[in-house]
Amino acid sequence: MEAVQSMVRIRSGNQMVAEGALRAGCKFFAGYPITPASGIYKLMIDMLPGRGGVALSAPDEISALAYCVGASLRGQKAMTATSGPGWALMIETVQYALMTETPVVIAMVQRLGPSTGGATQNAQGDVLLVEHCTSGGYTIPVFTPSTPIECYELTHIAFTWSELLRTPVVVMLDKEVGMTSEDIDYMTIHDLTTLSRQRSIQRDNGKNGAMDTYYFENPEDVPSFVPVGGQIKATVTGSAHNKAGKLQKNSPETLEVLYHLQKKIDAHANQMELVKRDLQDGARTLILSYGITARTAREAVRRIRNNNGKVSWLNVLSLFPVPANKIRASLHNIERIIIPEENFGGQYRSVLCNVFDKQEIVGVNKLGAMITPDEIIAKVV
Amino acid sequence: MNATAELDIQFKDLDVVYERPDTLTDARLHYCPGCGHGVVHRLLMEVVEELNIKDRTIGVAPVGCSVFAYNYLDIDMQEAAHGRASAAATGIKRVFPDKIVFSYQGDGDLAAIGTAETIHTANRGEKILVVFINNAIYGMTGGQMAPTTLDNMKTSTSPFGRNPDHVGHPLKITELLAMLPGTYYVTRVAVNSPRNVRIAKKALLKSFEYQMQGKGLCFVEVVSNCPSGWKMTPVESNKWLEENMLPMFPLGDIKVPSDE
Ligand SMILES: Cc1ncc(C[n+]2csc(CCOP(=O)(O)OP(=O)(O)O)c2C)c(N)n1
Ligand code: SF4
Ligand SMILES: [Mg+2]
Repeated sequence: MEAVQSMVRIRSGNQMVAEGALRAGCKFFAGYPITPASGIYKLMIDMLPGRGGVALSAPDEISALAYCVGASLRGQKAMTATSGPGWALMIETVQYALMTETPVVIAMVQRLGPSTGGATQNAQGDVLLVEHCTSGGYTIPVFTPSTPIECYELTHIAFTWSELLRTPVVVMLDKEVGMTSEDIDYMTIHDLTTLSRQRSIQRDNGKNGAMDTYYFENPEDVPSFVPVGGQIKATVTGSAHNKAGKLQKNSPETLEVLYHLQKKIDAHANQMELVKRDLQDGARTLILSYGITARTAREAVRRIRNNNGKVSWLNVLSLFPVPANKIRASLHNIERIIIPEENFGGQYRSVLCNVFDKQEIVGVNKLGAMITPDEIIAKVV
Repeated sequence: MNATAELDIQFKDLDVVYERPDTLTDARLHYCPGCGHGVVHRLLMEVVEELNIKDRTIGVAPVGCSVFAYNYLDIDMQEAAHGRASAAATGIKRVFPDKIVFSYQGDGDLAAIGTAETIHTANRGEKILVVFINNAIYGMTGGQMAPTTLDNMKTSTSPFGRNPDHVGHPLKITELLAMLPGTYYVTRVAVNSPRNVRIAKKALLKSFEYQMQGKGLCFVEVVSNCPSGWKMTPVESNKWLEENMLPMFPLGDIKVPSDE
């Protein structure tokens, strides 16, 4: 029999987030409707129960994420989906998940803000709101797909890192990426390895007795997970705690735990780096995109090259931790970097400033309408 | 001759028996055909006009299909964040006790994401009117299941019908609020028939009068429809409302003032 060469279907980004989550072994979803993320909620309601999972309607986003955290404390892979106003309500529980080292994935489909903003208008205005949502400034890993296939792959990868690092991870789309349907070929999806958090098997880790859900030797290590309701007594708290999960104030061990929450992420930052590159010999300009602007950038690059111009293109898939090594490795001979973003301040541009040394950095920024290829081309020298 | 002039001539001998109150703008409603929101807007503004309180009345709109209420109600209106309308109304009333303040909220806004605000506003006995448009669905976001969705009712997120074993029965928040000493007048009306529309108007009128007398919180639930979300014609939806919504959400006063 001939091998299947292609399997083309029409899919939206939101649909592929849901499918990617199922592929990653997501067994719990809770949601509250909000445009432009409602499609993910609906699909999980449709698909998850038939696959042995639980999909629950929450009365608001605060509950939705809290349900997910509860399921994850028991060991299930859990996800919710929302947009800016819902994210604002979830922030407390995002921090709780971070502090309690509870894996959870949040699909954040951006719309125009602030506040209720524009439910059906595209924007990339939540980059800093998402990344800087914690008291203390901890790194929230954020992945930014620009196509339905990337939605599938990056949701899967988000689950992997969430599980391996025991921390909340965000897949950040924007309305156009989430709601646009297009033909995709399932055969082009990369091989994905599904990984899960490491579980604690021994009752006594030799140090803290039975309660070892936060026990680590080195601050960079990720402690083995102890599910609530299992063989080993588990204590979970969002308050500052020692390695045994006991609330403590400013003890050296508690501070070590607080540093550890960041160090475990820093220690894996290199491995998390994900970019797509299309570099051209002799190019002096690099277009750096993420999310929907990747689609515009691709067209801008095509037109420039058709006119015998030279340009390099780098699309960032792992927005945070900033993939600094891969970005720096793409800057050979580059004099100017163009960063198109659908927000007015150049949010990612402001983060990247210390990654570049001598290059000139130019933003293309717009609110309420998509950036056009010509607006990018106009900035190319 | 333009069309309006033509109409003037045609109708000049006729008496006006029913017209748009001055408190309603002449903007065209964006609501789906047959939607109850428009009827309730009109009733509210008729009452405000009849009581001559247009300049004293302040409304707080929700996030939901009626987010655009300010387009139609020709009074000071603010849209609150999703679920927070009664909290915003509280702030307004506390600093402006002489103003007539109401919030206008859908079932998602009031009985899902805004449940805490609703209960505490009622429990404090804020001297405002809360108008609660219960159409058993999140209309604006495309017809998902709400806490008020009927048992076995199909929505986009209850494709096989609401399963009470899984998500509980419809939340009768109006009955719940009536139990709180802070509420003064609690009633449930509907706008699916001319008779019910007249009763609904009376309830709104009474509520505004109570507020003018400085009485406590008035809560008017309006059992309404969502032809689009229910996937019915307007006529079908009103019939369905009668046969399915009203047994679950029976009409009538639930709490009448004890000092009357
Ligand atoms: C924090 C937040 N979450 C979700 C939404 C999306 N949202 C807008 S309106 C709405 C529900 C509206 O339903 P309802 O209150 O019943 O009003 P209806 O449209 O049915 O009149 C939702 C969930 C939002 N705007 N803000
Ligand atoms: S969606 Fe439903 S509630 Fe909203 S305007 Fe249409 S009929 Fe009315
Ligand atoms: Mg509703």
